[in-house]
Amino acid sequence: MLSRVANNLFWMGRYIERAEHIARFMNVNYFASLDAPNQLSQSRNFVLQSMLFMVGDPVADPEKELNEEEVLYDLGLNPEKSYSIISSIKIARENANSSRDLISTELYESLNKFYHFVMNYPTETYKKTNLYDFTVNITEITAVLRGKIRGTLLHDEVYAIIMMGVNIERAIQITRIINTKYNDALLAKGSYKDPIGNSYEWTTLLKCAESYDMMRRLYKKTPNGTSTLEFLLLNGKCPRSFMNCINQVHKHILEIDKKVEYSQSSTAFLVGKVKAEFQFKQVDEIMEDIQGNLNMILNKMFKISESMEKEFFNY
Amino acid sequence: MATIEDKSIFSSYIKKEGLFDEVFDKNGEVKEVYQKLLDLYGTRTIDDYVDLNNKAKSSFFNQGITFQVYGDKQSQEKIFPFDLFPRIISTDEWETIEQGAIQRNIALNHFLWDVYHDKKIVKDKIVPIELLSSSPNYLHQMMGVDPPNKIYNHISGTDIIKHSDGDYYVLEDNIRCPSGVSYVICNRTALKRALFGVFNHYKTHSVTNYAENLLHLLETAKPPGVDMPVTVVITPGMFNSAYYEHSYLAKAMGVELVEGRDLFVENDFVYMKTTQGPVRVDVVYRRIDDLFLDPMEFSPDSALGVPGIFAAYRKGNVTIANAPGTGVADDKAIYTYMPDIIKYYLGEEPILKNVHTYHCSRPKELQYVLDNIKDLVVKPVDEAGGYGISIGNRLTKDEIERVKSEIKANPRKYVAQPIMSLSVHPTYIDQKESFEQRHVDLRTFTVLGKDEQFVLKGGLTRVALKEGNLIVNSSQGGGSKDTWVLKQ
Repeated sequence: MLSRVANNLFWMGRYIERAEHIARFMNVNYFASLDAPNQLSQSRNFVLQSMLFMVGDPVADPEKELNEEEVLYDLGLNPEKSYSIISSIKIARENANSSRDLISTELYESLNKFYHFVMNYPTETYKKTNLYDFTVNITEITAVLRGKIRGTLLHDEVYAIIMMGVNIERAIQITRIINTKYNDALLAKGSYKDPIGNSYEWTTLLKCAESYDMMRRLYKKTPNGTSTLEFLLLNGKCPRSFMNCINQVHKHILEIDKKVEYSQSSTAFLVGKVKAEFQFKQVDEIMEDIQGNLNMILNKMFKISESMEKEFFNY
Repeated sequence: MATIEDKSIFSSYIKKEGLFDEVFDKNGEVKEVYQKLLDLYGTRTIDDYVDLNNKAKSSFFNQGITFQVYGDKQSQEKIFPFDLFPRIISTDEWETIEQGAIQRNIALNHFLWDVYHDKKIVKDKIVPIELLSSSPNYLHQMMGVDPPNKIYNHISGTDIIKHSDGDYYVLEDNIRCPSGVSYVICNRTALKRALFGVFNHYKTHSVTNYAENLLHLLETAKPPGVDMPVTVVITPGMFNSAYYEHSYLAKAMGVELVEGRDLFVENDFVYMKTTQGPVRVDVVYRRIDDLFLDPMEFSPDSALGVPGIFAAYRKGNVTIANAPGTGVADDKAIYTYMPDIIKYYLGEEPILKNVHTYHCSRPKELQYVLDNIKDLVVKPVDEAGGYGISIGNRLTKDEIERVKSEIKANPRKYVAQPIMSLSVHPTYIDQKESFEQRHVDLRTFTVLGKDEQFVLKGGLTRVALKEGNLIVNSSQGGGSKDTWVLKQ
C-alpha cells in the first residue's frame, strides 16, 4: 500500500473514532449533570468547562461564566475549531476521498452520507434544542461506520492500518475522558464521605465510555474510583479499555510488519513493550499517582503514533 | 394541448421542425427500436418521474459521484446531471461506429509514430509542416522516442454526433486524457436501480467490462522484459474535477491510485513508496497533462509530476499511457486532415465522416470564414472543455466583429465548421417537470493494445441541457444519458 494512502487511512480511522468520543462525552455529561447530586456538578458552567477540558481547550479561570450555546457550537458544529465534531468528520472524509480506490464503496458511501448529514445540520436547532438528537446520531453513525470497516473491507493491510488508527485514538480518548472525569471528581467532592472514591462522576465516566452496563455485570457493585480505573484501564475483556486497545494495536501492527525479529526502534517493538507493561500492571500502582499514570499512557500512545509516521507513512 | 388529467410523460413533448429526433421519425411516429421502451415508460406518469429522478439524484450524491466546477471564486461540488430516459443504438449503427472508431484511432497512432520519427506524411505533402511546427502540443522531447510496443494513444475518446441527414460524423478526437468513462458505468448502475424492469425487454451490451479490458490492453503494452507488470493510475489529486473517475478506474482495475509524490525514479526505473518499501512500477496510466508529467523535462514548477519519469520512459523502462505528445494529433487543425491521414496510413476510406472544416490559417478559407461567419462555428484549435467556441447564428453584430478581429489577429488559432445540427433526444427537464428535445452527442471510448483493440459498447451520451444549446460538456452545464447498444 502507498505510504501516503496508509497515512490517510490511519487518520480517517482516528478522526471517525474521535468524533464519536466527543459526541458521547457531550451527551452523557450534559444530561447526567441535569440531576446530579452535587450542586457544583449540577451547574451548567461546571459541565461546559468539563467538556472544554476534555477536547483540550480548558478554561483558565474556573469562575468565568461560559455561554452555553457558544460552547456547544464550538464543540459540535464550529468549523473554525479544530476539535469540533464537524472538523473531525470533514477531515475523515477528506482522508477517505484520497483513498477511495482502496476502501469499499459501502464504507465510502456511509461516510459521505455522514459528512453531508453533519454539514447540513441546522446550527440554531442544534444549539437550542437538538443536542441529544445530534450527538446520538453521531455515535450511531460512527458505529455503522465501524461496522462497514469490519464488514466490507478485506482484512489485510488496509484494514490493519485503519484499525490501528481507530484503536490508538480510542486509547487516547478513553484516557482523556478518564483524566477529565478524575479532574471533575476532584473538584466536585464533598457530597460523600470519600470524595474521590465514591463520586457520582465515576458513573458518568463509565457511561461516557459506554461501559457502565459491562462494569455492573462484572463487579455487581456501585463503581468507585479503584474499580472504575481497573476496569477501564486494565481489563482486556472490556472493548473500551486501554488494555483492549493496546492488545488490538499490537495485533494489527503484526499484520503490517511481518518480520520475525523486530528491531528495537520499530513500532512493533514499542507497542509490544507497552502491552507487556500493562499486562502485569496492578491497579494499586495506578492509584498511587493517577494523574502521572494517565499522562504516561497518553505519552506512550503519542509515541506509537509518531513512530508509525516515521516507519510507514514516510513519503 | 395536454389536458390537466393527461399526465403521461410525453403528453407535452414538442417536436420541432428541422431537428433530427432520435426517438421519433419525420412523421412523428416512434422508431422501431424505441417502441417497447415508450410503451413501458408510457404507463408511468410524470409524477412517478419526478420521484424517480429525485431518488437517482440523491443516490449519486451519497455515492459522492460528483465533479468540481471552476470559474466562480470557490469551486463547487456538483452532481453530474443524469437523465433516466436512455438512448438506444441499434446493432447495425453500432457496428459502423465501432469499426470507424478503431480505424480512426489506429490511423492516429500511425500518424503519431510518423510525426515523431521520419515525418513521411509531411514529406509526401499530405499534412503541411507548419501544422506541426506551430502546434503548442508538439513535444520535441518525443522525437525519436520509441514507446513500448509503438502505442501512443492507448485510450481515445472519439466524439461523434448524428447530423440532421441521419449520418454519424466525428466531431472531435480526444487522445490526451479523455474522461467520462466512469459516468457511463454510473449511469448504467443508476438506471438499473431506478428502472430495472425495462432491462427485461432489451438485450443490451454490458458496460462494466471496461476496466478489465483497459487493464488487459494497457498491460499488453508493458515494457520489454517485464513478466508481471505493476500498473498504477496517476492523478493530480482529489481536488481535480475528474478525481472520482481516477479513483473509480484504479478501484475497478484493482491497481494503486498514485499522486506524483508517491513515485520516484532511480537509475531510470520508476518506483512507488509503499509501507513495505519501494515497489517498481511498469505501466502508468496517467491522468495528468503532458506539461506536468516531469518537472525535469517539461514545466519545471510542476508539483504534480514525477522528476525523471520521462528519462525512464525514453529508456523504455516504463509505459506511459497515453504517451506524452499525443496532443499534437487531437488538435482541431489536424482533425481536418483526418480523412487524408486514414487513407495515407491504412489505404482505406474513412468509415466515419468528418465535418468539413475551414482553416483560418489558409488565406482563401480565412476570407470565406470572415464572409460567412454567421453560418459557422468558430473554434480555437487547442482549447478543451468547450471553452472559446463561438456559434455564428447566436452572435450579435458586435460579437461578430469581435470574433472577426480575434481571428484576424491569430488565424492559426482558429478553425471554422458549418453549424452541424446535433440530433435531439427526449430529455427530462427538472425545472419544468416534463420531457423536451435536447441536443446530444456521443463520446466513444477506444482502447488500443498490442494487436488488440477494444471499444466500449455504449459510451457517454452527453446532453446539452439548456434549450437549443449545442455545447454538451459537463463544465458547461451538460448532462448525460445511459446509452444502450443492442445485441443482435
